[in-house]
Amino acid sequence: MSSETPATGGQPEPTPLSAMKQASADLFIALDNPDATDAERSVARDGLVRLHLPLVEHCARRFRNRGEPFEDLVQVGTIGLIKSVDRFDTDRGVEFSTYATPTIIGEIKRYFRDKGWAIRVPRRLQELRMQISAATADLTQGLGRSPTPRELAERIGCTVEEIIEGLESNNAYATLSLDAGDDHDDSASRLLDSLGTDDDQLEHVEIRESIKPLLDALDPREKRILLLRFFKNMTQSQIAEEIGVSQMHVSRLLTRTLAQLRESLQETR
Amino acid sequence: MRPDVELRLPVDSAYVSVLRATTVSLAARLDFTIDDIEDLRIAVGEASAMVLPSADEGSDLVCRYYLRPGEVSITVAVSSADPELPEEDGFAWQVLSALTTDTSTSFENGVFSVTLTMNSTVNA
Repeated sequence: MSSETPATGGQPEPTPLSAMKQASADLFIALDNPDATDAERSVARDGLVRLHLPLVEHCARRFRNRGEPFEDLVQVGTIGLIKSVDRFDTDRGVEFSTYATPTIIGEIKRYFRDKGWAIRVPRRLQELRMQISAATADLTQGLGRSPTPRELAERIGCTVEEIIEGLESNNAYATLSLDAGDDHDDSASRLLDSLGTDDDQLEHVEIRESIKPLLDALDPREKRILLLRFFKNMTQSQIAEEIGVSQMHVSRLLTRTLAQLRESLQETR
Repeated sequence: MRPDVELRLPVDSAYVSVLRATTVSLAARLDFTIDDIEDLRIAVGEASAMVLPSADEGSDLVCRYYLRPGEVSITVAVSSADPELPEEDGFAWQVLSALTTDTSTSFENGVFSVTLTMNSTVNA
């Protein structure tokens, strides 16, 4: 892989390649400067990591559609980037991206190898599992149905026992949340997002719209009582004081108004 | 008829995984396809989930396997004073009947059981 492509590949940034290289080199000088304070070094390190983030995205994109969310891959890839920033030796005379790319990809691959498994499974079984899935796909095509463990054993050249073991180990490779998206692209859409439910708010819209004219038709005092009671959350006694009538009267008025509204609402429906 | 394999476990959902593993292992020897095996695994788990909530405290979950070439019948049973029989249009029942060739439940003499039968796709 050439050292330039990943750094700018597909990025809309107008930064010319040379400027990018220059920025990177400057930051490395700042990082390696023996006179720099810890703070300055830290700033340079942050700057380097940020500068090369598109490289991580580029690397992570190669591992899309393998069942892991793209964001997670970017995250582990970034760890690889940070490691390469810390380990990079400017005296070697190679471009940073040349050095960083394998480190980042290595980190992502390691993630698939180590973190994909919910429990630690022996290497032999991990490989067997891969063989089984490949053979299964193959045999399913040929037979027109899914293969039996015996057929798989014959194809792979192992015992039925081992196939059963391999199938069992399959259960340990259950890394994804049930809620994970199908990961067609970088979008963070989840299965839950695609499940539809009745939106209660929709019904409220209807009620709100039909109650509007009814409220407008109320006399000002009734409207005021409703407002004080349900929007200012005042008690009936407080309202009574505010309006200058007895609490009993407020209660009666409120009951009447609500009954009236309810009735008219039924009629309009 | 005497079962070919019989398994007795505590009535605790934690042991259902043992049942599932046993089922997979048996079905693999009977030449079921791996899709069938996966279906059976889910079906056995589902059947256990049906009977377990009704089980009497401290009783056993008994699982019997009747094996024939290309066919397996599995009965999952618990003793129960007051079983909660599955609704035929309930989700769990739908899953079971979709996964298996035949499914039935029974409640006799204080024993609540779910029986499922599955034929291998190979022989079909």
